[in-house]
Amino acid sequence: MHLTPEDFSAIALSIKIAITATVISLPVGFATAWLMVFSHFRGKVLLEVLINLPLTLPPVVIGYFLLLMLGRNGWIGVFLKSFGIELVFTWKAAVVASAAVGFPLLVRSIRLGMESIDHQLLQASRSLGAPWYDTLATVILPLSLRGMLAGSSLMFARSLGEFGATIIVAGNIPGLTQTIPLAIYDYASSPTGTAMALSLCIVSVALSVSVLFLHEVIGKQLEHGGKA
Amino acid sequence: MKTMKHFLRSIAAVLTLLVLTSVPALAGQVSISVAASLKDALNEIVGVYAKSHPGATFQKNYAASGALAGQIEQGAPADLFISANVKWMNYLKEKNLVDAPSIRTFAFNDLVFAGATSQKIKSMNDLTRLGKIGIGSPKSVPAGEYAMQAIVKSGLEQALAGKLIMAKDVRESLMYAELGEVDGSVVYRTDALMAKKARILFTVPATLYPEVVYPVALTVAGAKNADAKSFHAWLKGKEATAILKKYGFTVK
Repeated sequence: MHLTPEDFSAIALSIKIAITATVISLPVGFATAWLMVFSHFRGKVLLEVLINLPLTLPPVVIGYFLLLMLGRNGWIGVFLKSFGIELVFTWKAAVVASAAVGFPLLVRSIRLGMESIDHQLLQASRSLGAPWYDTLATVILPLSLRGMLAGSSLMFARSLGEFGATIIVAGNIPGLTQTIPLAIYDYASSPTGTAMALSLCIVSVALSVSVLFLHEVIGKQLEHGGKA
Repeated sequence: MKTMKHFLRSIAAVLTLLVLTSVPALAGQVSISVAASLKDALNEIVGVYAKSHPGATFQKNYAASGALAGQIEQGAPADLFISANVKWMNYLKEKNLVDAPSIRTFAFNDLVFAGATSQKIKSMNDLTRLGKIGIGSPKSVPAGEYAMQAIVKSGLEQALAGKLIMAKDVRESLMYAELGEVDGSVVYRTDALMAKKARILFTVPATLYPEVVYPVALTVAGAKNADAKSFHAWLKGKEATAILKKYGFTVK
């Protein structure tokens, strides 16, 4: 087991990107899940397909779309540039890539949590005269916390492993955008890098296993619902 | 339980079938492992060869040279190996995985700087005026390694730090230049010639980096394959050379 300073920066960067992507996505994921579970509107199926699309699309496709949209000539890229923000080839681009790829997993878990909420509680809240936002803040939000935790851990783990979209929209720049999977790719492309690649692989497996373990523990508690 | 067992059995059957149909080397089949930068030229070369040698069929594997060397070391089927640098050829030679007498130089390539920028960029020093410069990741992409050597040798390492955008291969860094995401990229001349928007702005002086040599060799298995041997010999001929030149390679 031998890790270079560059490897350590890749590990730190991976964690930073995964945390940022998860934290930013959480409120949006919560709102989306709430919309999907508690409201009925036209085009709900369409929204559902859109949200789940990144689960099945090749990450390379997502990365390429992001590059075209966020780049110098892309419409979002041009818009952000007018505020002096440039995303492409920075760690922020890796955050966007991770967020896009992990979002469906987050929404899924939060939805599962919300769907298990006892409807009588919601009716009670309504019949006692609480407006929708009050119900949302005092009933739905606290009862969704475990779902949000489970979803966040899953999304965090997925973000740690993001490769395909990241390497296109953020490049493979050591210290700036090179995350664990990208560093492994660099080592694996040369036969002499096997030992170095394996060291990082072990780190990667250890991180994923611990996060998924945490996810399972949260999931177990979730199964017992509000009784735990 | 019963259905599960049935399911597993059918999976096993499918797997066995796959193994049986994919492994044996057919007569007349030549497996070639070729550096990605030679892809288009080699496709045409193989097409021309196959026309005059109807018995031969080709399995083509294009990837980064280092990755190919690793695959051959792990026992991937390959009769002929063309590397984008001498390093990986020597690596296999030391492990006695290529037939040493068959190693020879196949082609040469140059590094150029290509981009769609409107600025006048004519030399390495002009690069400091640009915002973003694409190169291949120096650790895994030979072209990126050469580009980095050229930058260091011109004393621009400090000036260009933070401007270098490292891509997973030469083609990706050319794609960045083509889309205008970087001002330009250091790529092989042969790649730059294929670009539509990015133009060659200058040729990187040959004194700044080692000569880009593509060595070719038969693997130990390939040395026993008559079709691979005849293809290896044919690559020296006029037709193959003409195609290489058409794509911008140098043949000496």
